[in-house]
Amino acid sequence: MLSREENELLTQTDAGTPGGQYFRRFWLPALLPSEVPTPDCPPVRIRLLGEDLIAFRDTNGQVGLLEEACPHRRASLFWGRNEECGLRCVYHGWKFDVNGICMDIPNEPQEYRFESKVRTVAYPTREYGGLVWVYMGPPELQPELPKLEWARVPESHRYISKRLQETNYLQAIEGGIDSSHSNFLHASLDAFRLTDSYVEKVKNSDNLRAKYHLLDKAPWFTVKKTDYGLVIAVRRKAEEDRYYWRLTQFLVPSHTMIPHQSGHSIHGHCWVPRDDQTCWVWTMSWNPNAPLSENDWGMIRDETFVHAQVDPVTFRPVRNKDNNYLVDREQQRTSTMTGIHGFASQDQAIQESMSPIVDRTRERLGTSDTAIIAMRRLLLEEIRGLAQAHEPFAAHHGDIYWVRSASLLLKRDVEFEEGARDLMKAEV
Amino acid sequence: MKLDAPSGMPRSGVNPNHIVPVTNFSADTLRSIIAHMEVSTDFEHLVYREAELDAIWSITGFFLVSEPGSTQLEAVRRLHAGAHKAHDLVADRRPAEAAVVLRGFL
Repeated sequence: MLSREENELLTQTDAGTPGGQYFRRFWLPALLPSEVPTPDCPPVRIRLLGEDLIAFRDTNGQVGLLEEACPHRRASLFWGRNEECGLRCVYHGWKFDVNGICMDIPNEPQEYRFESKVRTVAYPTREYGGLVWVYMGPPELQPELPKLEWARVPESHRYISKRLQETNYLQAIEGGIDSSHSNFLHASLDAFRLTDSYVEKVKNSDNLRAKYHLLDKAPWFTVKKTDYGLVIAVRRKAEEDRYYWRLTQFLVPSHTMIPHQSGHSIHGHCWVPRDDQTCWVWTMSWNPNAPLSENDWGMIRDETFVHAQVDPVTFRPVRNKDNNYLVDREQQRTSTMTGIHGFASQDQAIQESMSPIVDRTRERLGTSDTAIIAMRRLLLEEIRGLAQAHEPFAAHHGDIYWVRSASLLLKRDVEFEEGARDLMKAEV
Repeated sequence: MKLDAPSGMPRSGVNPNHIVPVTNFSADTLRSIIAHMEVSTDFEHLVYREAELDAIWSITGFFLVSEPGSTQLEAVRRLHAGAHKAHDLVADRRPAEAAVVLRGFL
């Protein structure tokens, strides 16, 4: 449980709030480059940390992110003309470049023009790792970009999707690091019931998760604080002399990596507050050593795992709360726990059902919620630390993000920190 | 650390890196949590203690709702409030004070 004050500290990210200040110390994923595909293409609306912004790609190919409202009369720059290295408001013709500098005020007589005095809010951007990133904090504290492995692999080795989730970012992260829910929410009925046919099917599987995850539904949890966040280690019984370990990464402010098995592609998320009631879910799938396989593309196309089909303009999932996520009750009766297709939609349905901002004064946690407790405490420490002028270490040390999740079998007398040390290092 | 389920009684040395299994709010369970609290110093230890106190708070909370006629009601109500107080002390990195609060229920 959290106190009301703690819950607000963690879930409020508008400008001027402590949590908002914290997020504004990091580079954040803002949009897909394909949203502003070519120089002078139409601008698009982006809402981030409670701020309404306009993104545009100027004539030189540089991406600008400006406050949506024109500083003159507050008209939306979404209707603006993207022309000759600037975005021109169509109401009275004021024009701004990617740095927010006013280039033209054509409605004032020549002798009264004051372009040089006018600026609008503009945030620096970087194109990196298949995304446009934005920094919305104090210019003198601009951080390093995080050296995340998925951002460093060739484009053919990764796929990134973006979707809107109608909840606060925090409960989305909590879903991402909550290891015990997948035995239920994402399970087939055969797996949940551990039917003989299911056990027979997985007993010789080379997929460790399929083989061991469901056979021990009450795993042992541990967490390890790191420079970049947390390693969340979950241990399940395997053969007599071994444990099956799943190691999830949480990297501040809001990146997660799903435990992956060597030789398979890796998946992760970044959860970016859109405002206090909604967030952007960035989902990354990557293979550090090779282009994504036909199997990977099949899972992406069929939305069976972490990616979901969305509306191309709003990024709202096709399966959403207005259509009950296209739940198939017959399928729920006969074959899966939820009757909802795909892990992403299953997560979204359950997290959106908790109300946009969970009242954490009313929850009833147990020891299986250790990872969630640890993540909240870590973020609270960071947010309170910043309020006392302790800048977040990770923001200025991009190298420490060079890690991976893992899942592996270890002898029972080997600690995961030792046994998985090499596997948790990124390669690219 | 190994525990005698269901009593929660320590069998060997106390290891603050291990989570005490909390399936009830017996004196043995509280004793085990207190023993772990008293040697907890690191971020990770305090997270585990918070998880244990969350579990005590949850179990007592459910008891209060489901057993309104119980003769233990008042005692459980006090423990529920005490677990909340101890939880907030642990969250504030004050495990020794939290242990004192819990000790009052033994």
